[in-house]
Amino acid sequence: MTPAGWRLLHHGLAFLSGGLLALMLLLNGTLAAATNATFASLAAHGSGAVLALAILLALPKGPAGGPVWRAGAPAWAYLGGISGAVTVIVTALAMNSALALSGTLALGLAGQAAFAALADRLGLFGLPVRRLGWRDLAALALILAGSGLVILGGAG
Amino acid sequence: MILFVVLAVLGGVLVSLSRQLNGRLALTTSALMASFWNHLIGFAALLAALLAAPALWPAALAEVPPWAWLGGPVGVLFVASGSWLILRIGATATAILVIAGQMVGGVALDLARGVARGVALDALGIALILAGVALAALRPDRRANRNPRRGKDRPDDR
Repeated sequence: MTPAGWRLLHHGLAFLSGGLLALMLLLNGTLAAATNATFASLAAHGSGAVLALAILLALPKGPAGGPVWRAGAPAWAYLGGISGAVTVIVTALAMNSALALSGTLALGLAGQAAFAALADRLGLFGLPVRRLGWRDLAALALILAGSGLVILGGAG
Repeated sequence: MILFVVLAVLGGVLVSLSRQLNGRLALTTSALMASFWNHLIGFAALLAALLAAPALWPAALAEVPPWAWLGGPVGVLFVASGSWLILRIGATATAILVIAGQMVGGVALDLARGVARGVALDALGIALILAGVALAALRPDRRANRNPRRGKDRPDDR
């Protein structure tokens, strides 16, 4: 496949995974509405850990002779789950303020895109430096502006 | 109010940070392994939070629709895919494409469930989002164009 083909495939998969996120937020949001955000996230993380473990153990053994649990990653690379758990709590606090769901969502998307751009530019956390060109920035602006309108469409 | 604005922005920064850390972990293990550690360590942190605040344990779970428990399994796939993609297209492209899919998917789920929405705002918003997706995903390959004599199939880019 050509580089342009791989690019289209990877971007298409990222878009589809966003659809998966929308579904996940609906499921976890429904659980949170019947309980609370912290408990809902605990349940989702617990069932997710059990499922991921089951798949890892069921996968056919590769050249390493089984799943590679730890290999060459610094200790801080294991803290993604802490970051995700704190996200649930700060987002729940913001949603209960005057920002409501729509304001929290809009500000969160802006923060997410800005921090990602910073991380690419500086090559943070052991990931390669990526220079962002005008196409990247225009795509970012279009997607954030469109997201703002969609969030307004849901709030009205 | 400023505090809540900071918290809301921080929520997004942490989503991005989480994906970068999981991507770094996936670099030397695998995307599924990164998703496993993400869920296990997140579970431990949230368990500590609920043990510190026992009032958060729900009194009854009978009200929960059975399908609402499936967020965890969907999350395993979502975190694994993000850890895999960030190594291939970078943090910014992963973030904005996921946001695009989240918005379009959210509208589709609302429509499927009969939730009332602003049609004009949705239509204009989705048009802008899809224009951004096309701009990001359909980039002409400059390297191949500049060097037409080099092979077009370049497996080194995967």
